[in-house]
Amino acid sequence: MIVAMTLPLAVSVLMGVSASRLGRRLPPATAVRLLTAAMLVTALATGFVLAVAGMLVLAQIPLVAALGHYSAHVLGSGLPVPVGAGGLAAVTVCGLLVAALRRAALGGRDLMLAAVACRRLGPAVGGLVVIDDDEPDAYTLPGIGGRVVVSTAMLRALPADERRVLLAHEAAHLSRRHHLWVQAAELAAAANPLLRPVARAVRAAVERDADEVAAAEVGDRELAARALARAGLARAAARRATTLEAALAGADTAVADRARALLAGPPPRRWVLAGMLAALMVATGVAVLVTGADTEARFEAAQSAYALLR
Amino acid sequence: MAGGRRRGGLEQEVLACLGAARRPLTVAEVLAELGGDLAYTTVLTALSRLHGKGALTREPAGRGYAYALPADLGASVTARRMSRLLDSREDRAGVLARFVADLSPEDERMLADLLAEGRRADPEALP
Repeated sequence: MIVAMTLPLAVSVLMGVSASRLGRRLPPATAVRLLTAAMLVTALATGFVLAVAGMLVLAQIPLVAALGHYSAHVLGSGLPVPVGAGGLAAVTVCGLLVAALRRAALGGRDLMLAAVACRRLGPAVGGLVVIDDDEPDAYTLPGIGGRVVVSTAMLRALPADERRVLLAHEAAHLSRRHHLWVQAAELAAAANPLLRPVARAVRAAVERDADEVAAAEVGDRELAARALARAGLARAAARRATTLEAALAGADTAVADRARALLAGPPPRRWVLAGMLAALMVATGVAVLVTGADTEARFEAAQSAYALLR
Repeated sequence: MAGGRRRGGLEQEVLACLGAARRPLTVAEVLAELGGDLAYTTVLTALSRLHGKGALTREPAGRGYAYALPADLGASVTARRMSRLLDSREDRAGVLARFVADLSPEDERMLADLLAEGRRADPEALP
């Protein structure tokens, strides 16, 4: 049981440590789905084993045991969870639950704000909204009937074929519902902070995936890389002109890495790596089932012992 | 060697082309801007359809029309306010997906090199 209970934690650490490598090696579309799914499985499993560990320790309090009609002594005999660790687990799982709920509310609120913004922008043919602005900018407002917003400065910075790359990239964000994957990944990371680097990898993979879709649509990877380069440089130049600290602001999804990946050629499938990650998730699921079954058996034994003693 | 357009892709491209222009454009001008693989009638149809939907204004020019995006200050103000509101800061969920994020100085150099190398860019030569 101790192995089963520590496996989700071990998997979390493993995923956190190898997140950026996984994100770069897996093909972007696979990375988005598989990493997010793996995060959700791992976060739920971790929450479950922590809750079980905490519950097993709290359940040994004599008053609790008496109310539950089981023997606290039998429940605690040979238990692999030290009392201190169990207490810590209980506190941790409560904190993580609050963090996850807070993150869910935050994501829900911002998705709703985006949906409201889409509605306020009015009917837009093809979902494209061109705004008159001197700062080169382009982004996707997610939601049902989401919008692609592009400033005139960005449109003027790019030649027609590179504008096509930009439009295809943003359309891919909408059609592949990238915002939902990113929000799910962020939720899992809130519930299990060990997974924070994996959420960053999912964000990066979403951009890479949209780049790949755009490159396929225009049929030219170099053209797609050039569009990224020109748009990035135009934005950097404009921001330098307006604000001083622009260059220091965090470059989350490194544009240069994306351009490099496009020039490196189509991403390989990586079946083996994807299979290993999937197998790890199955193992995590089994660990949860084993922990659950073992805990249930433990309580049943404690209950029959209590009945015998009476 | 285009990979084919998705549905609505051409309409978006036409809108983007007019958004980049500082004056109304004729069908021929839009065609010249969008480039090779399109037929004149395809562009003409797209422009008339967009005008029919109220997405474009047009004025007589020569024997045909010149098209432009309608002045739409309301959308600009709304979009700017919303992007500022939703932009990823401390307590934001980060639902906006930007085409390009801010660059580090090294990134800027690498991207400038990439553009300078142009069509003959050799992936092996890049850092």
